[in-house]
Amino acid sequence: MISMRIGARSVCLAVGATGLSLVLAACGSGSSSGGSKAASTATTGVTITVALASDPPPKASLDEFTKSTGITVKWSNIDWDSLQTKITAAATAKTYFADATDVDWSRVGQLAKLNAFYPMNEYVDTKSLAPDMPQLTSFTTKGNVVGIPYDASFDVTTINKKMFDKAGVGRPKTMTAYTDALRQIKTKGLVQYPLDIPFAAAEGLSTYWYQATGAFGGTVLDDKGKPQFADPQSPGYKAAQWMVDAFKSGLVPPGNINVTDSQGQQTLMAKGLVASVFGDYSGTVGSLYDVPASSKVVHQVTYLPTPSVDGQPGPNNGNPDGIGIPRTAKYPKAAAKFIEWFTSAKNQADFAGLNGPEKALPAYALPSHLSVVKQMATKGQLIGGDQLATMLKSTSRPIFAGGAPSWYPEFSRAVYTNLHSAASGAQSVDSAVKAIAATADRLSSSRS
Amino acid sequence: MRDGRPARMGTDAPAAVAPASGGARAHPTATRGTRPRRLGPRGAGPDGTRSRRRRVDLLPYVLVTPLVLFIIGLAIIPAGYTLGQSFFRVQELDPPTRFNGLDNFRALLADPAVRGSVGNTALYILIGVTLSTVLGLVMALTLQHKFRGRPILIAAMILPWALPGVVEGIVWSGIWDANTGLLNSVLTSLHLIDQYHVFIGTNRFLTILLIEIVQVWQITPLSALLILAALQNIPGELYEAANLDGCSAWDSFRRVTLPLVRPGVAVAMVQAVIATLNVFDQPFVLNGAAETGASLTMQTYFISFQNLDFGQGYALSLLITVLTLFVSFVVVKLVYRPVEF
Amino acid sequence: MRRRIRPRWFGVAFILAWSLIPLYWALNISLQTDAQVGSRPAHYFPSSPTLRNFHTLLAGSGEIPGQIRRSALNIFVECAAATVVTVLLATLAAYAFARMRFRGRSVLLYGVLATMALPAYATLIPLYRIMSSFGLVNTYTGIVLVYVSGFLPLATWIMHNYMTSLPVSIEEAALVDGASRMGVLWRVVLPLARPGIISTTIITFLFAWGQFLFPLVLSSDLSTQPLTVVITALQGRHVVPFALLSAAGILAILLPAAIAVALNRYIVSGLLTGSVK
Repeated sequence: MISMRIGARSVCLAVGATGLSLVLAACGSGSSSGGSKAASTATTGVTITVALASDPPPKASLDEFTKSTGITVKWSNIDWDSLQTKITAAATAKTYFADATDVDWSRVGQLAKLNAFYPMNEYVDTKSLAPDMPQLTSFTTKGNVVGIPYDASFDVTTINKKMFDKAGVGRPKTMTAYTDALRQIKTKGLVQYPLDIPFAAAEGLSTYWYQATGAFGGTVLDDKGKPQFADPQSPGYKAAQWMVDAFKSGLVPPGNINVTDSQGQQTLMAKGLVASVFGDYSGTVGSLYDVPASSKVVHQVTYLPTPSVDGQPGPNNGNPDGIGIPRTAKYPKAAAKFIEWFTSAKNQADFAGLNGPEKALPAYALPSHLSVVKQMATKGQLIGGDQLATMLKSTSRPIFAGGAPSWYPEFSRAVYTNLHSAASGAQSVDSAVKAIAATADRLSSSRS
Repeated sequence: MRDGRPARMGTDAPAAVAPASGGARAHPTATRGTRPRRLGPRGAGPDGTRSRRRRVDLLPYVLVTPLVLFIIGLAIIPAGYTLGQSFFRVQELDPPTRFNGLDNFRALLADPAVRGSVGNTALYILIGVTLSTVLGLVMALTLQHKFRGRPILIAAMILPWALPGVVEGIVWSGIWDANTGLLNSVLTSLHLIDQYHVFIGTNRFLTILLIEIVQVWQITPLSALLILAALQNIPGELYEAANLDGCSAWDSFRRVTLPLVRPGVAVAMVQAVIATLNVFDQPFVLNGAAETGASLTMQTYFISFQNLDFGQGYALSLLITVLTLFVSFVVVKLVYRPVEF
Repeated sequence: MRRRIRPRWFGVAFILAWSLIPLYWALNISLQTDAQVGSRPAHYFPSSPTLRNFHTLLAGSGEIPGQIRRSALNIFVECAAATVVTVLLATLAAYAFARMRFRGRSVLLYGVLATMALPAYATLIPLYRIMSSFGLVNTYTGIVLVYVSGFLPLATWIMHNYMTSLPVSIEEAALVDGASRMGVLWRVVLPLARPGIISTTIITFLFAWGQFLFPLVLSSDLSTQPLTVVITALQGRHVVPFALLSAAGILAILLPAAIAVALNRYIVSGLLTGSVK
């Protein structure tokens, strides 16, 4: 190609340059980036950037906010997965990218350990919020509140009541009855595969399993992060077995080996191709199944109190979205004011459309204030609102009592890759569960 | 050109091409193993020697400096940082950063997920480079000579590359989907299958093949463009002369086109190697994090951004760099031949 | 050359089918609603085509049209600037590498080309920190600088190949006639290397067009976010609007396609000169 005649001098130059780079790199790793001035305590006359995986509030609302506080809001809408990448990149590089951003329930432990966010309890009166915001507990770890939940997403079972009624199976209250009901629907020929389980190796499979574990009467990890599911008689083990058995025995479409949670909801449940999603998300009836542009089963889907072992309503695991203040924020106090406003009961009522469509936030499923959910249910504006309000109040609970552990993403990946391969037949349920348990053991002992 | 026929091409023969125009050159220029011709400082002969003492020639440095500054500042220095950090324990959940020698590399090589993804990635490379190069060559050859509608065809050819990745993922998962996908639908309408099949997710080889087809669809325009540009360089007189000498279309392809397009093919193949070795979007969207298709770059992402073990992440990036260099070097050695007209 | 007709038709058909069938599928989906997408069997043609998705993207109420417009401007500015700078610097350097001898030539050329092997994650965080320390996060300049540094190696390689393949005799003749070396570059080499320049331009532009990860990290808001980031943000957390995203994809390819049509003459005359030298 090109002459390989490289002089000795050139080699020395190259080596020298590389060495210099390494030295600079090693030195540079400790220092923080040049733009870190002390965060301003200004609370007025500034512009803050808010980065969330959702549409901004209506312009009218934001203008009102700016008028009353003097804070201008620049909104940055980034999709959830990419936003998590950005949050991590900015935390590692200790760089500013927003004054307020998403705090996902699953990252509470990790972000707290990284000390990447300001404790919200120092800026906002979280104690008085707590009674009206049951899911605040998911965001509290070691006494600090990492973020404020702005919606109240939780896992809930949805059923196609038309199919259930046609098969004459009523509303099952136990896991056994639920599974039987599905079998009946299958044998009666209403659908070929009645149950949707998203077996793609993605996060939705993990949360589905946690919800099933709750239905079988237990939790996945104890408060020290030790696995509770290794024993074949434990709820977690039974839940995994139940899921894989359902798949292998023809209750779940074979194609689901590669279907994610949202895919299953949109392409199967909303098309009437399955009869039930055991671990669906609260609000989907209003935001998906009853929307004619997206669904073929309008008015046919309803929520079901979680089937359990003893017939009492089972738990509904919470997976709410929160908003918090990164430590690199330029205007933390102003951001706190914004968060207070954004998560206030009044605004949530507006966003939910209770005060007219011009103030509504599109695709806002469920407010985090219990009082607002109740309002919506009373006004008939929340489809299945009564059920959801009840669940939010009494049966919804955090997946992890002390907030998600700091090593949650790695653990979750072990969960979904192993459950996926158990469903595909690459390993048995037993070896999958053992692998997940081993990961949990390793992570909980090496990292606190 | 002396007799209108390119020198015989064997696998070891130099890629010799007689210049097409200009003065009479008595012999083809065998360029393999010798330096391409270079101009010396002004007024000097072709080999750059002058009878007088040479001054330091600044012009090349001036021309090259902006490029070098960019590369050093924004590629070498960050790479140096990565190289350095890969020898440290940079686990955000377990500070502080401390030196730990080769531990990161050891941990990576022992990690079954990483090992599995090496095998997957090897398959991705094999399938992807072969397909995209062959298809790119076919497309470039089709577009080599003028015909009506050629510009429109070139525009159509480029479109897959211009489609945003997220939409590419949606369209192709809508094609491969096992419950509601287009392929299943077409096969059913043609009565070739009676129930919908699972294409991605069970069989490892099929999964990787189908995922890689999606990436090939995206990167083939690049190969085609690179090869097409190289084809444009081949003088028409060579084909005319081959014609006059009685070569068939296939012969002139084999003996004129193929040897002379090797530089373009080599660049295309190296680009394909880089793209396939770093494949991330397609397996992630189509098959999640499943072992059956996980790629090396996916592991880098998980290790860095989910486990927050950036030290290992940098180490893995380093390994990927070395692998890329190695495979590219092999490709260049096998395929590239300097060509001068 | 007429004798190539028959095999060529296969090639033409293949190019059209291979490129356009999946794009047709995207168009098909974009003209439906999510409820109609994913039917069994699939709708090969939209049963009741609707333009609502395009309307939402371009003219609807709400934030989306403004985001689409601004990010389309951003991506165009970023790609054009990066392409111009890259091709310029690559051409100059390639000429030096191809036709001049100087100390360190091989090391520099090899070194530059070798940086193509660096994966994105090897440089993402360090570049982020560098840009941040210069205050270039969320600026066009920062993004363009990063793009240029990423695309220079390939551009240099293509131009270098092109220039070394040109017959030296023409340049030598010009030099003997008294032209300066820069004059030779400008008046002799560049016109001959036009296919290389045009193809480098197209390739660099398209590479820049498809960037996602770097602009995701380097831009914080709509003032610099390119179209790719904004389109990806149309995905919801729990609901993926297939039809809307497909419509956005169709719009996204229309932009480079429109540029290609507008610059068709230059592309044809520059890239497809055939072999007249």
